[in-house]
Amino acid sequence: MSENAVVVCTFEPGREGLPEGAEEILHIGRGLATALSAPLHWLILGPLPDRASATAGHYGVSSLQQMEDPKLLPSNADACVAALSGYCSDQAPQAVLLHQTLDARIVAPRVAGRLNKAVVMNGISIEPNGENLQLTASAYGGDTRVIYEVGPGPILSFIANAAVPDPSEGDPVSVENISCDLSEITERIEIIEQARFDGPRLDDAEIIVSGGRGLGSVDNYPLIEQLAEAMGGLAGASRPLVDEGWVDSSHQVGLTGRITRPNLYVAIGISGASQHMAGCSAAKTLVAINRDEDAAIFQYARYGLVGDALELIPELIRAVRDR
Amino acid sequence: MRIVVCVKEVMDPDAVNNYAVAGRLEIGEDGKTLTQTAIPRLMNGYDEQAIEAALRLRDEGADFTLAVISAGSDPEKMLKHAAALGAQELVAIQVDPESLDQQAFARLLAAQIETMGGADLVLCGRQASDDDQGVVPALIGEQLNMPVITVARAVALLDNQVRVTRVTSDGDQVVAAACPAVVTISNELGDPRYPSAAAKVKARRIKPTVVQPSDLGLSPEDIAPRVMLTRQFVPEVQGNCEFIQGEVAQMADSLIERLKADSIL
Ligand SMILES: Cc1cc2nc3c(=O)[nH]c(=O)nc-3n(C[C@H](O)[C@H](O)[C@H](O)COP(=O)(O)OP(=O)(O)OC[C@H]3O[C@@H](n4cnc5c(N)ncnc54)[C@H](O)[C@@H]3O)c2cc1C
Ligand SMILES: Nc1ncnc2c1ncn2[C@@H]1O[C@H](COP(=O)(O)O)[C@@H](O)[C@H]1O
Repeated sequence: MSENAVVVCTFEPGREGLPEGAEEILHIGRGLATALSAPLHWLILGPLPDRASATAGHYGVSSLQQMEDPKLLPSNADACVAALSGYCSDQAPQAVLLHQTLDARIVAPRVAGRLNKAVVMNGISIEPNGENLQLTASAYGGDTRVIYEVGPGPILSFIANAAVPDPSEGDPVSVENISCDLSEITERIEIIEQARFDGPRLDDAEIIVSGGRGLGSVDNYPLIEQLAEAMGGLAGASRPLVDEGWVDSSHQVGLTGRITRPNLYVAIGISGASQHMAGCSAAKTLVAINRDEDAAIFQYARYGLVGDALELIPELIRAVRDR
Repeated sequence: MRIVVCVKEVMDPDAVNNYAVAGRLEIGEDGKTLTQTAIPRLMNGYDEQAIEAALRLRDEGADFTLAVISAGSDPEKMLKHAAALGAQELVAIQVDPESLDQQAFARLLAAQIETMGGADLVLCGRQASDDDQGVVPALIGEQLNMPVITVARAVALLDNQVRVTRVTSDGDQVVAAACPAVVTISNELGDPRYPSAAAKVKARRIKPTVVQPSDLGLSPEDIAPRVMLTRQFVPEVQGNCEFIQGEVAQMADSLIERLKADSIL
């Protein structure tokens, strides 16, 4: 058994007692640790999430480690980078795995840069390959997959949105405090205006109805909102609608927008470009509505309706309300 | 004051997607590279927007030298486009991109920035549309000890500060940092401008400075890759779509019935 651990690192308190994507990334970490016969550690930067201890037990975490410091907020990149780099220098993990949030997208490469280690984003799966690790990641907006080989100690970020089997809780794991000295750190970036959005987020939605350029005009977007509301879901959009200013960017689904994983995703007037699919292909059921029967979106769909969105949406609203 | 924009040449992502959708995207015999020679190569879209961000700062009266730099096998044409848009300094770092990783690109770009006397602001795209990694800007930030601000929709300069409106999943966030800083640009910045015909003609005569890694004091070991691309493949999409037939109202009813039957609604 190798001494050096596989480390899952999270640094967002999360809305429901666990950091975003924590279970998914722990699941990936568990798989790698098992394949390497290495212990799995879970390093938490900042406050301990409510369900951390029980969740750690369920995923076979042998050490739940916490670095506590008022400076360790996810938006404090300088503090997070200093803490995680210090940890890696001391503990020499076999690999550090993160779930790809906007903050992780800054912290991961900066830590790798500071330590002169490999860094890869957009990971999907990972396995050992001799002395090295072999990571499958998405490229070209999802049109291709690439397999990267990396040496020991890389910082790896995953789009962890695959379903996790049986997310029940296990025997609690006790928390070990890891000291870190951040007294010298002063954040170089000052937040002038905090992002303010308290509504439900697409990332957490069970049902999403998204509209694309096929809607033809901004005047038709309210139809999407009405159908979403009738179905008890949220309204999303493809990027052109955001670029055109029809909707604000918190609605954008895709590679460079929200990565969603609802139960039901209804794509209306959306062609199915890989960059859009990157944000919705984890949906359990995908319904596509498009007037072009050859549209790529149908390749991903469970159910397809070929027809004019503007005729179909009002009928769908009626049919949902009828039931 | 100097603003440096880092631009990368990529395969046109829309063309790649069209080939993929048509099931004609092929990987070469090396098992790694896309072989469609018909796919045009162009400047990464976000990098074009990074140049646009710099030009908007100039429109607002900021006084700076605009440098556009790129590491690749043949970035000259792309750099001429940058010149036509108003870049005053153009540098092509001559490398074989296939043999390098993002750490290496970042080292080269950071070394180039240092060699040219530093930068007050480094603008990059949020990610390159080929590798989608989005790590080079953060790595440059570490190399040059600059703070890194990502996914900007707007960039402003006030005194010696850069103020950035960021696009986050919770809406826009405004942050500020003292220059020098690295800022990455997102698509929400809006469309980049086109150069005038006259500027294009003039730019034809401009020659980018070509440098080799050794000119930047970097040895082959310094830029040896830590991440090796060993294989690339086109993922399969399973495709089991059930098309629902009928008149518009019937289609709507049948779909909702099925979703209910599947316990989805
Ligand atoms: C680096 C990069 C990142 C990107 N990130 C994202 C991202 O995060 N999210 C994203 O969405 N895109 C993203 N894109 C853009 C993406 O490549 C596509 O251009 C975009 O998703 C297309 O949007 P669309 O499907 O709405 O429009 P189109 O491709 O124009 O498709 C419109 C569809 O509507 C159909 N239609 C037209 N009229 C009707 C009608 N009356 N009724 C029914 N159907 C109709 C058409 O048949 C067509 O299929 C990115 C691109 C790049 C290069
Ligand atoms: N070879 C390169 N030459 C110049 N700039 C680059 C290069 N590679 C990456 N960049 C910059 O870094 C950004 C992110 O690239 P990447 O990390 O590869 O996704 C790009 O949008 C460019 O601004």
